[in-house]
Amino acid sequence: MKTSIAKHILVAAAAGLISFSAVAQEKATSLDDLLKMVRQSKIAESQEHKQREAEFRRQKANQQALLNRAKNIRTAEENRSAELEKRYQEQEAAVDQKRQQLDERLGSLRELFGHMSSTAADLRASIDSSLVSAQYSGRTEFIDGLLAKMNTATKLPTIAEIERLWFEIQRETVESGKVVKFNTTVIKPNGEQTQQEIVRVGNFNLVSNGKYLEMNDAYKVAELIRQPDAKFQKMAENLQVSTAGFSAFGIDPTGPTGGSYLKAMINSPDLIERWHQGKIVGYIITAVGAFAMLLAIFRLVVLFGVGAKVNAQLRSATPNTNNPLGRVLAVAEENKGVDGETLELKMEEAVLKERPAIESGLNLLKIIAMVAPLLGLLGTVTGMIITFQAITIFGAGDPRAMAGGISSALITTVLGLCVAIPTVLMHTIVNGRAKRILHILEEQSAGIVAENAERK
Amino acid sequence: MHALIDAWAAVNAFMASGGPVLFLIAGLTFFMWTLIFERIFYFNKGLKSDVQGAVDLWEGRGERNSWGSHQIRYAMISRVSERIQDNMDMIQACVALAPLFGLLGTVWGMINVFDVLAITGGGDAKQMASGVSMATIPTMAGMVAALSGVFANTYLTRKAERETQLLEDHLTMDH
Repeated sequence: MKTSIAKHILVAAAAGLISFSAVAQEKATSLDDLLKMVRQSKIAESQEHKQREAEFRRQKANQQALLNRAKNIRTAEENRSAELEKRYQEQEAAVDQKRQQLDERLGSLRELFGHMSSTAADLRASIDSSLVSAQYSGRTEFIDGLLAKMNTATKLPTIAEIERLWFEIQRETVESGKVVKFNTTVIKPNGEQTQQEIVRVGNFNLVSNGKYLEMNDAYKVAELIRQPDAKFQKMAENLQVSTAGFSAFGIDPTGPTGGSYLKAMINSPDLIERWHQGKIVGYIITAVGAFAMLLAIFRLVVLFGVGAKVNAQLRSATPNTNNPLGRVLAVAEENKGVDGETLELKMEEAVLKERPAIESGLNLLKIIAMVAPLLGLLGTVTGMIITFQAITIFGAGDPRAMAGGISSALITTVLGLCVAIPTVLMHTIVNGRAKRILHILEEQSAGIVAENAERK
Repeated sequence: MHALIDAWAAVNAFMASGGPVLFLIAGLTFFMWTLIFERIFYFNKGLKSDVQGAVDLWEGRGERNSWGSHQIRYAMISRVSERIQDNMDMIQACVALAPLFGLLGTVWGMINVFDVLAITGGGDAKQMASGVSMATIPTMAGMVAALSGVFANTYLTRKAERETQLLEDHLTMDH
């Protein structure tokens, strides 16, 4: 590979050296060929030189005649040059005179044109970002033409053009104070173009059917990819259908300078995108949270069922083994004859057996409630690490480079809290249910047995 | 009337500058204080009849010395104490949750600050101010809610303990 590259370079260099000779037009296929070709071209060159020498000798006799002819031509051209120079000077003086005349006649108009030209340039800049341009096209072409005309020394703007400039300034001022409806082509986010009625609020906003629009560089109206809150869209819709009176409306205060707030909105993430910003830690927290919720709901349903059965057991006299209290009472029933102390021990043992089933999942819920904010903290720290890596690479000058890591850091904290808060609440509720059943089992079962015995 | 409208406007402005989390904190605080007042009302009204009912039932018994009687007494105390302890866990959980909500608001506000930072490049501190107030106000509100709850919770816990103790004392074993 290396040698072939070297060969190519050599061939190229050699071809450059001998390109003037006819031989070089043939292509050398190998270094040997090239060498041969160089040698042949040398021979050919020396032949050419000999021919040229012979030619030169032959023409030597004519030299004097040629020299004389050349001298004649030189004299004639020198004369012509002097004549042209004289004419140039005459015309220059005439031009100076005319220019002076022009200056005299323009007088104070020159100053006026200076002002006009700067006014036109200002108007050009404001029209460029003005939403009024979406309604009235052709304004920029006119002003561009006028500016070009005024920048040349030879052309002057006509009265009609000056009047039109004045008219455009006036129109821009008047139109920026109006709320008007007009029909135009709107480019939808999916690229589709439709003709529809849009509302222009002064120089601030363009809206149509409750959607906010923007004007792109080609003065085309396009729907914003991401719209503001539904509240503001509703306001825009109301504005479009209202005919009289006042209508509340959300405007972009940066509208006259290009609407940077609305444009920035396209970059700001929505809730789903924010959730994705949490990255892997965010997904883990979400999974843990979902598990905790499912577990809590499952336990709540189970405990509701058990609680209902226990309540039914409290009302009935015969022990039913489909519920914990019933099973404890059944133990008491089996040991009817024994003394109080022994019966108490037996029942305590029975309660101890029921405990795990009732309390299952509670500890897990509690752990999740505690771990979720810690996971959030983990995400925060990893996000900060990413941020500091960005600082190492890009420097601290650009906050935008750091924004990714920071948002990831904050989102995980939010997710951690969003999981912890409901989990704590659910744990409290489930724990309350479990506790109630356990209280009945532990503190009241012996009493129930005694009450049943007395009733008989 | 005018003062009322002013106060309402002030509350609205406060809620707007605090962000959406402030509504959650307000809801939580309302819920917590509803439970606290429910407990206070119970201790002042319902509890008396519950205790009286238990004492009457106990006093109406023929004998109060056997093993069975003791178990029945425990069961009675347990039942009334269950009523006394009702919702107390939930109040405690709310007190614990209030600062967490505050923290949530803080982080939410910080996200807003960084959003503004990403859009404007951080040149304008004024534009970040709304995010900063969204970060700090919920923290304060969460703390205030938690503090108010802590005092009420301490009072209620002590009251509940004392009432249970009193009930046990009322149900005397020997007559």
